[in-house]
Amino acid sequence: MTVIRATEVTKRWGATTALDRATFTIGDGITGLLGANGAGKTTLIGLVLGLHRPDGGTIEVLGRNPWTAGSEVRAKVGYAPEHDALPPDVRAHDLVRHLAEVHGLPRREATERANDVLYEVGLGEERFRPVGTMSTGQRQRVKLAQAIAHDPDIVLLDEPTNGLDPVQREQMLALIRRVGSVLDIDVVLSSHLLEEVERVSDQVLILDAGRVAGGGKMGELGEAATELDVEIAGTASQARDLVKRLAAVGAAATAEGRLVTVALESERVFDLVRDAVADGGIGIRRLERRTTSLEDVYLAADGGGTA
Amino acid sequence: MSDAVIHDRGYRPYDGPRLGQVHAVKSLTLHTLQRIFGLRRQARSKALPFIVVVLAYLPAIVFVGLSALLPKALRDATLPTYEGYYGFVSGAIILFVAFVAPEALCPDRRSRSLSLYLAALLDRTTYLVAKALAIFLTLLTVTVGPVLLLVLGLSIQNAGPDGLGELAIAVGRILAAGTSLSLFFTAVSLALSSLTDRRAVASATTIGVLIGSGIVAAVLEEALKFPDAFLLLSLNTAPYFLVNVIYGVTMGREATYEIPTLIIPLAVAAWTVAGFGFAWLRYQRLQVTR
Repeated sequence: MTVIRATEVTKRWGATTALDRATFTIGDGITGLLGANGAGKTTLIGLVLGLHRPDGGTIEVLGRNPWTAGSEVRAKVGYAPEHDALPPDVRAHDLVRHLAEVHGLPRREATERANDVLYEVGLGEERFRPVGTMSTGQRQRVKLAQAIAHDPDIVLLDEPTNGLDPVQREQMLALIRRVGSVLDIDVVLSSHLLEEVERVSDQVLILDAGRVAGGGKMGELGEAATELDVEIAGTASQARDLVKRLAAVGAAATAEGRLVTVALESERVFDLVRDAVADGGIGIRRLERRTTSLEDVYLAADGGGTA
Repeated sequence: MSDAVIHDRGYRPYDGPRLGQVHAVKSLTLHTLQRIFGLRRQARSKALPFIVVVLAYLPAIVFVGLSALLPKALRDATLPTYEGYYGFVSGAIILFVAFVAPEALCPDRRSRSLSLYLAALLDRTTYLVAKALAIFLTLLTVTVGPVLLLVLGLSIQNAGPDGLGELAIAVGRILAAGTSLSLFFTAVSLALSSLTDRRAVASATTIGVLIGSGIVAAVLEEALKFPDAFLLLSLNTAPYFLVNVIYGVTMGREATYEIPTLIIPLAVAAWTVAGFGFAWLRYQRLQVTR
């Protein structure tokens, strides 16, 4: 099911083009919105929430235009911003209840759900503490709790692991995974951290300087293997010898140290490699498809490996 | 058999009613009222609103007490008129005006929780409506409450308006005067508080503008001999001129200040519209996410 659909969406801030004719669809499950700082992720979230009007193109969220039907869309969308957006002198429970109310829940239901979601994110015992007395990790959990308290169809999490230590980060990623899978809320996880997107997302959308640079289901990205890595148990000269043997039978290959990379044009290449190493008496330490990792896609989008 | 019930705490899907923008405005108004009066917060947050409310009501309580103790002749000479009561509490009103709007508006921008509201059912206009409503209702506690207490306290002692009709007129004037004062000060303080996210700066600016505009108006009128109508430039005087108009106090040739009666409500209305308009424009242009 398509949750968000954007067609040729452009958004400019003065002379800066934050989004440049972005066309994509976001389906259900957890979608990683990946891009460096300034790639246009937060602008995209603002457009999804109907806070900005696109300068060009159209965007639909849950089948509606968020600019013209803002409150209807936002009633079914949760949002946890990147920045610390919680008033420090308000108790977590009061804040979550109040924000559930401004999302349309009656007071009694909002009170019950504020309790429930704060337990869900592991703050049941801390729920009556002022937010300002909480740790960064706990405040991030409060942000997540307020984003899901009104039972949205989709929740937008903007850099939810910002400022967290490794343990807190693990816990937050596990919570996000749980929101997307167990609680059955579609998640858009905006992050500049490749590894965390790769770990929790079902699909990914990569933005680079306001343009859609890539995307798709995580499994499909991995299936785009076009090369075979052969690490030999020998010397660099044996590796070069293997390249020549492969070239002789029509398989294009390159060597870098003891690693031989072979173009994987068909499954027959496996047989060619087997025969070539057997004929040359070359041992193999590792032989595997070079799957296109999210990192490859990301680096390619980011100017061919500038990281 | 035990009646104990095991409660499953944690997330559950919600299929109950979902209310609209009016409910969201109401919720934000109540939440802001709680914030202004320091409810569900530390004791020190309650101190200033409590002091101001005491300052505003104390003269009324004293006057009601005096009316019970003094003989009628002395009582009539001592007790203020209802419109004159504002002279005793104008300081408390300024203090409250300078405190309330900054408390209502600034923390949301400073803590950046404004983005959470705009990601909910509210938009920039309905958000401001909720905030203005909270400020307006709060100011009514010092612009209507004390005078209402005075008139009711005096009436109980047969020292108030004569008959039910007169009482109704007096209450009507109190409500109209208090409402106009609150609306005016809500607009002005909303505009000034929209300029900064720091409460202290907003409060100081509000006091400075209220007093400063009075000084400018006085200099124009007295030193430079401009027409008396220029006193309407004083943000701390103009609304009280309207109070006088509501109570039927003459502002024509025989009065201290000679200002055509029609100009006063127009000037106050213009200030009020300008204040709300300025705050609205400011919030329309405010960058929340980018």
